[in-house]
Amino acid sequence: MNAVVVTNDLSKSYGSHEALNKVNLEVYKGEVFGYLGPNGSGKSTTIRTLLDFIRPTTGNASIFGLDSRQDSRAIRARVGYLPGDMVLYDRLTGHQVLAYSAALRGGVDWAYVEQLKDRLGAELSRPVKALSRGNRQKIGLIQAFMHRPDLIIMDEPTSGLDPLLQQEFHEMVEEVKADGRTVFISSHVLPEVERLCDRVGIIRSGQLVTVEDVAALKERALHRIEFHFGTPVSATDFEDVPGVQDIEVKDSVLTCTVMGSPDAVVKAAARFTVTKVVTQEPHLVEVFLSYYGDGDTDAE
Amino acid sequence: MLNNVFLKTLWDQRRSLMWWGIGMVAISLVTMLFYPSLSDAPELNDILSDENSLMKAFIGDIEDLTSPEGFLNSQLFFLLLPMLFLGFAVTQGSGAIAGEEEKGTLDLLMSSPISRRLVLAHKWAAMLAAIIVLVVATWIGLAVGVVAVDMDISLLKVAAATLSAGFLGMAFGSLALALGATTGRRAFSIAIGSVVGVTTYLINALTPAVEALEPARYISPFHYYSGSDPITNGLHLGHVGVLLLIATALYAFATVTFERRDLGV
Repeated sequence: MNAVVVTNDLSKSYGSHEALNKVNLEVYKGEVFGYLGPNGSGKSTTIRTLLDFIRPTTGNASIFGLDSRQDSRAIRARVGYLPGDMVLYDRLTGHQVLAYSAALRGGVDWAYVEQLKDRLGAELSRPVKALSRGNRQKIGLIQAFMHRPDLIIMDEPTSGLDPLLQQEFHEMVEEVKADGRTVFISSHVLPEVERLCDRVGIIRSGQLVTVEDVAALKERALHRIEFHFGTPVSATDFEDVPGVQDIEVKDSVLTCTVMGSPDAVVKAAARFTVTKVVTQEPHLVEVFLSYYGDGDTDAE
Repeated sequence: MLNNVFLKTLWDQRRSLMWWGIGMVAISLVTMLFYPSLSDAPELNDILSDENSLMKAFIGDIEDLTSPEGFLNSQLFFLLLPMLFLGFAVTQGSGAIAGEEEKGTLDLLMSSPISRRLVLAHKWAAMLAAIIVLVVATWIGLAVGVVAVDMDISLLKVAAATLSAGFLGMAFGSLALALGATTGRRAFSIAIGSVVGVTTYLINALTPAVEALEPARYISPFHYYSGSDPITNGLHLGHVGVLLLIATALYAFATVTFERRDLGV
């Protein structure tokens, strides 16, 4: 596949602190890539290196096949960026902020800006300093999307957005993807990545721990299943069922955790009279935790 | 007005620049209005006697306080105006890069397809333009004052002296800009810029009173600002050249250091 972002042993140290340690990352054209890790794990450091705000101690990165240091201007012309701790010129109105940004990019299709503004319900006529965090975030999103960049890099994009807008944002990301353009989203919130991304890279203490397909991760994700039976059952009836663990029985109610397909446990349960089955949409939290260990993450 | 970094920077400063301009006009004009009463008091020159040679450190090396040139030099051009230009320029220069960096707006600015070199060039040009605006405002105040009190002095010479203060500001503003672009720290740039400004001012002001230290004045930008007495003699091209060379060299230094370093979060 066609790689849009490639890093080779990308490392960044500050004195003895290694903010990034030999990160090898590939993001493909047309995908939505999630970059997941707790605060301070090196997500923003990676992004800031890609944009040439900071320089790698060793290793290198390329975007669109261009060197992140030598060809940074050409790269930035084709990239949209939403910073994590975004600060806009607070005395300018949203409209002025966007006009300035558009001018520095040599002009944008203003009809598209108006369209994005309407979709997000952004307030552009008041000074930024009078706006709520959510309304500032909308302006940040518009400036990241407005020049239809080939790659959109967003650091914690949905922070401050209400759920309805997250849905709109989701659709905007899908449209970029449908265009064959690429999206790179960093987040410390798992459900966000799970919902939006095709693949996810997990970073911890500056090291890329793993890169996984989100669909494949879900296959391996743990389901919590609850069976209500017509008569009391015993835990021993289910202990040998493959993939089943953490069995708890209270009278006629059995709960267990199943990895992957629930087929075997459903067939085992069918031996009894089943009155009700309760399952939960699998979350990747457990998978995520297995990479981090407990108590070492602020993922939700 | 928001077409590029230069215009945007001036646009941001429009209010503060307006108030600074009004202030400069007012200070110049009001000072001038005192001239008639001072010029009628020749006994003032008694403080310039040889026993009082240290006085030169505070009002400059002046022969006659009651002449138009002596009045303007001692009341405005020796201390007040250069210090105001210094303060304005150091504030502007330190804010140029370090200000945006500390506020956090530099990230979005630098995500545009513009080079750091270009951002710095626009910021520097905006600072120089703002200083020129203040030069013009100061000259207007002085010119109105010259006409109002019927002072016998060429407005061109007044312009020369005011412009010289502007060049001094450019040198120190460029110092603060270079410090801010190199370190990303605004308060540090203001502090160092001001300390260097005041120290070199004192070197220039005090060395005439201490003969052994006389050569030290040549390291002070203030010497190149006032040493040739522009209000009497017009601009000294060599001295102007030194001030502009300092400004340009510091700007060139900043382009190198700003290009090479990591931008702060």
